[in-house]
Amino acid sequence: MKRSRIGVIFLSLLLLLILLALISAKYGAVEISNQEIWEALVRISKGQELMDLNERIFMQIRLPRVIMGIFVGAALAVGGVLMQALFRNPIVEPGLVGTSSGAAFGAALYFVLGATFQWNLGEWTLPVAACLGGICSTALVFYLSRSRNSSKSSVVSLLLTGIAINALFLSGVGFLSYIARDPQARSITFWNLGTLSGAYWQGVLFVVVVTVSCLLLSLRYAKNLNALMLGEQEAQLLGMNVNTLKMKVLLLNVIMVAVATAFVGVIGFVGLIVPHLLRMLHGSDNRYLIWSGALMGAVVLTASDLVARLLLSPAELPIGIVTSMVGVPIFIVLLRRTNYFF
Amino acid sequence: MKNIIACLWLSMLFMSCGRFSNEDKKEDHQERIVCISKQYAEIIYALGAEEDVVAVDLSSTYPPEIKELPTIGYHRALSTETILAMKPTLILHDNNIGPEHVVNQLEKLEIPMKTFGQYEPTIAGTDSLIQEMGKYFGKEAAADSLVNKLHADMEQALAQARQYTEKPKVLIIHFGRASNVYLVMTQKSTAARMLEWAGGEMAVNAERGMKQLSPEVVAAANPDVILLTDFGYDRLDKGNEIEKLPGISATNAFKNKRVFRIEEHDLVYLGPRTAENVLLIQQLIHNNEKE
Repeated sequence: MKRSRIGVIFLSLLLLLILLALISAKYGAVEISNQEIWEALVRISKGQELMDLNERIFMQIRLPRVIMGIFVGAALAVGGVLMQALFRNPIVEPGLVGTSSGAAFGAALYFVLGATFQWNLGEWTLPVAACLGGICSTALVFYLSRSRNSSKSSVVSLLLTGIAINALFLSGVGFLSYIARDPQARSITFWNLGTLSGAYWQGVLFVVVVTVSCLLLSLRYAKNLNALMLGEQEAQLLGMNVNTLKMKVLLLNVIMVAVATAFVGVIGFVGLIVPHLLRMLHGSDNRYLIWSGALMGAVVLTASDLVARLLLSPAELPIGIVTSMVGVPIFIVLLRRTNYFF
Repeated sequence: MKNIIACLWLSMLFMSCGRFSNEDKKEDHQERIVCISKQYAEIIYALGAEEDVVAVDLSSTYPPEIKELPTIGYHRALSTETILAMKPTLILHDNNIGPEHVVNQLEKLEIPMKTFGQYEPTIAGTDSLIQEMGKYFGKEAAADSLVNKLHADMEQALAQARQYTEKPKVLIIHFGRASNVYLVMTQKSTAARMLEWAGGEMAVNAERGMKQLSPEVVAAANPDVILLTDFGYDRLDKGNEIEKLPGISATNAFKNKRVFRIEEHDLVYLGPRTAENVLLIQQLIHNNEKE
C-alpha cells in the first residue's frame, strides 16, 4: 500500500514534468510550429546545419533553457531536502550555509570590477566567478563554525554562522550595487532575481553532469540521514560517524547549489518549499524525498519559467519573482489544510 | 539598495505593461527595424525615417506617437525571444544594452545589428550623428535642416545665457526619491552640459553622472532651482507633496517656489531638440530675472 502510493506520486510527477517540458519547449515569445521543431530535431540528428531562424531559435535558445530549468530545479530541491534533513529544521534552505549569497557576491564582483581587472574566460567568466564566491563563503562558514575546544562543528553553530555570513555577503552585494554604475547595478539586480534565459549548451551539459552525479551520490546517504532524524547522539549510538556524514552531505549540497546558482542566478524558495510539499504528501523518508524532490523541483521551476515567459509576453519576468509569487500562495494553502509536522 | 532598484524597475515594468500589448501594425513590412536607443529613436522620427521601425525599447518616449509601437522592454534587461518575436531584419543599438548573454545569443543567431558612430557629447558631435543617420536612411536634406535649426536655436540660447547676470545653482533630481535618498544628476551628466549652456550651474559635484544624496546634503547645497524629472514629480501628487520631502523645504528653491517638472527625455541625451530644451531650461531657471 505504502509502496504503491510512492509509485503514484512518482509517476504523476514524471508525467507532469514531461507535459510541462513539452509545453515549455513549444510556447514562448516567438511562435515555433511543430513542423519546425520536428525538422530541427531531424536535421540535428543527421548532423546537418540548421537553416531556418526559427529552428535555430528552438535549438540554441528554447531547448537549452528548458533543460537547464529541469536540472537547476532538481538541484535546488534536492539541496533543500539534504539540508533540512541534516539540520533537522524546517526553515533551512540550500543557500543557508552561505552558498547563494557568496555566489551573488562573486557575480556582483565580476559585474562591477570585471572590466577593470580584465578577467576573461568568455562565457564562463560569470559562472566561474559566482561558483568561486559560493564555495569561498561556504568554506568560511565551515571554518568559523568549528568550536574552539573540539574539531567538530555543532549543527546550531553552523546554522547561526551561516545566517551571519549570509548577511555579511549580502551587504557586500548591496555595497557593490551602491558603488556600481547604473548598467552594472542593473546586471546585479537581474542576476539576483535569477533567469534561465542565458542558457547555452556547454553550461547545460555542465549542470546536468554535476546535478545527476550529486543526486546519485546523495541517495547513498539517505538512510543515514533518516537515522540522523532521531538526533545526533542517537545516530552516533547507532554506529554512524555523524561528522563525516555532515561533511559529505554539505559538500554535495554546496557543489550542486553553487553550480546551479552560478549559471542561472539566485532562485529562491524552490529549495525551501519543495521538500515540505513532499512531506505533506507522504512523510519524511529521505530515500523518497530525494528522488521525488528532484522531480518536483524540476516541475516547479519549469512551470515558473513558463509563467515568467508567458505572463507579460512578449516581455519576460525574472524567474525568482515568479517562484515566490506562485509558490507562496500554494504553500500557505497546503500548510493550513494539512496537519503538518516536520 | 538592491530592493530599491528592484522596486523601481518592477514599477516601471508594470506601469509600462500597456506598451507591451501594443499591436504590430507593420506586419507586412519587408524591412523591420528594432531600435534600442532613445537617442537614435528620436533622431529617426525627426528625420522622418520611422517607416520601418517596428519596435523600440521602453525608455524611448519621444516623440509621443512612438508609444504606439510595440516595445521590447528595458534596454538593460532585454530578452532574446522578445526581440526575435518582432522578426527584426535589423537591430539598432548604442552599445548600452544588456544583459550580456542576450547580446551573445543575438550574435550567435547572426541577427544583423548596427551601431552608429560614437561622437563627443557636444553639439558638433550631435551634428555628426544626425548627418550619419541621415545618410544611412537616405534623408540627407532632412538631416541638414535639423542641424541648421539646432545651430540657430543654440546660438539664441547661448546669446541669452550671456545676458544673465546670475548663475543659479540647480539641483536635478531624477525619479524623485527612494527612502529619502535622492538620485541627483551631477556635473558629469548630459543634463549638466545643457544646464551650463542655459547659464546655470549644478548644485552638486561628483565623479559619476548620477549620485545618491542624503536629504542633509540637499539642504546644505541649498540650490536656487530644483528640477524634478516627470516620473518622480508626478508621483508626488503632481508636485503638491514636494514640501513633504525632507531636506527640500529648507532650500531657497522651495522658499521661492522654484521647483519645476521636466521631462526626462529632454535631459538625458543630446538630439535634434537639445537647443530647444536648453531654451526651455533657461526659461525655468531664469524666469525670475525677467520680471
